[in-house]
Amino acid sequence: MGEVSKLLADYGPAFGQALLLTWKLTALSFVPGFLLGMVVTVLRLLPLPPLRFVLTVYVEIFRNIPSVALLIFIVFALPDLNVLIDYEPSVILTLMLVCSAFTADYLRAGINTIPGGQMEAALSLGMRPIRVIYSIVLPQALRAVVQPMTSLLIALMLSTSLASQVPFPGRELTALVSKIANDSAAGIPAFAVAAAMYVATGLLIAWAGATLEKKVRILR
Amino acid sequence: MSRPLEEILFGNPRPQAQAAMRAVSVAAAALLLLLAAGVALRFHTAGQLDARFWEFFAWPTTWAFLATGLLGTLASAAMAAAIALALGLVLLLGRLAPLRLVRWPSIAVIEFLRGTPTLLLIYVCFLVLPQAGIKLSTYWMLTLPIGLSTAAVVAEVYRAGVLAVPRGQTDAARSLGMTEAQVFFLIVFPQALRYIVPALVAQLVIVVKDTTFGYVVTYGELMQNAKVLIANYHALVPVYLVVALLYCLVNYAISRASKQLGGPMH
Repeated sequence: MGEVSKLLADYGPAFGQALLLTWKLTALSFVPGFLLGMVVTVLRLLPLPPLRFVLTVYVEIFRNIPSVALLIFIVFALPDLNVLIDYEPSVILTLMLVCSAFTADYLRAGINTIPGGQMEAALSLGMRPIRVIYSIVLPQALRAVVQPMTSLLIALMLSTSLASQVPFPGRELTALVSKIANDSAAGIPAFAVAAAMYVATGLLIAWAGATLEKKVRILR
Repeated sequence: MSRPLEEILFGNPRPQAQAAMRAVSVAAAALLLLLAAGVALRFHTAGQLDARFWEFFAWPTTWAFLATGLLGTLASAAMAAAIALALGLVLLLGRLAPLRLVRWPSIAVIEFLRGTPTLLLIYVCFLVLPQAGIKLSTYWMLTLPIGLSTAAVVAEVYRAGVLAVPRGQTDAARSLGMTEAQVFFLIVFPQALRYIVPALVAQLVIVVKDTTFGYVVTYGELMQNAKVLIANYHALVPVYLVVALLYCLVNYAISRASKQLGGPMH
């Protein structure tokens, strides 16, 4: 424990900043990623075959590509195509794209849990298909995906560690640990502190997700 | 559900709606083609379509080198998966143990390994363990952390399967006079496995993705070999595109397999 307190005396504020940066990257990529995933889900329902095809390819690509390969492509290859994106937006863009693909996949699975009779009933009441989507399908699908979205948010939070792969001015937790391990012999306590911060954040998200799930779930 | 949602909502449109749908479809297709043309033009103006950036893909040596990388990826992923399956079972048994002295440490280990990023564990094996005098080969610096963090996830997947096996199975096995070990290994676990095979195979996709960090420890997997190719030919965009495509294909194949396995069981 002595080592940890010495480490916190030296690097305490740095750890605080790193944790905040990890949270910031998580939030900034999750919110737009989630909204984009919702848009993709709705567009994939429309009877427009070319759009459906392209969006299915989109989802499969970003679900299956390793995030770090995508990040490296955005950071190091896109400048060759005269597309320059700064490091921090690149990380956020990478995680957002991956998050949107998984969101679209989960929401689709959530939609499949809604009994078909509900849509038929809504149509027979004279609702237009678009109206059925946003007042019958989406609200129920959103309530059905709380649990997978919680896991996705935790996975996304852990994935912010790949920000350590680009020369970022700010340091998130993993980058900070690798710097401390490079500069000093305090690698193990630094790792322990960072791991505790990651685990605590994950448990916090899991608890919030479980609470929300209990409130909104639909028992069928 | 009997019919897919799309068919219920848009299954039998009126004639005007049908014409409108067709028109919007054509417009969407035109827009998407325009977008593709824009991307192609961007490649052209940036000079990325020049033959010197692509000609080395016609050489068998390039593909042999990429194949070696892919083999490295698969070798690491397979070993990590084997570690995860075995260690996951150990963690599961600890998690289900009636003894608190065994159960609580198991929960702690699972939450710890599940809750820390694999990349952080890789950095520990790469930077921290050598300080403590433990030297691993690059293969193990990559494979061991991936195996460990996957083991914790696999333990939870196993647990979900075990909890899904009807309680009557355990009761019946006990009433036949089986020991607790026999009940678990002969009755409960084999049935649990059948529930969770799709989830386990899906986990393999994450293992393959994690091996991409191999370049961090300079282990010769696909990403690392891509970097070597780039250093030789200065062709960032083509090589990264091809490698990304290879990853997508491998993972897509695994995902499809997991969906196939997820079909009806009884």
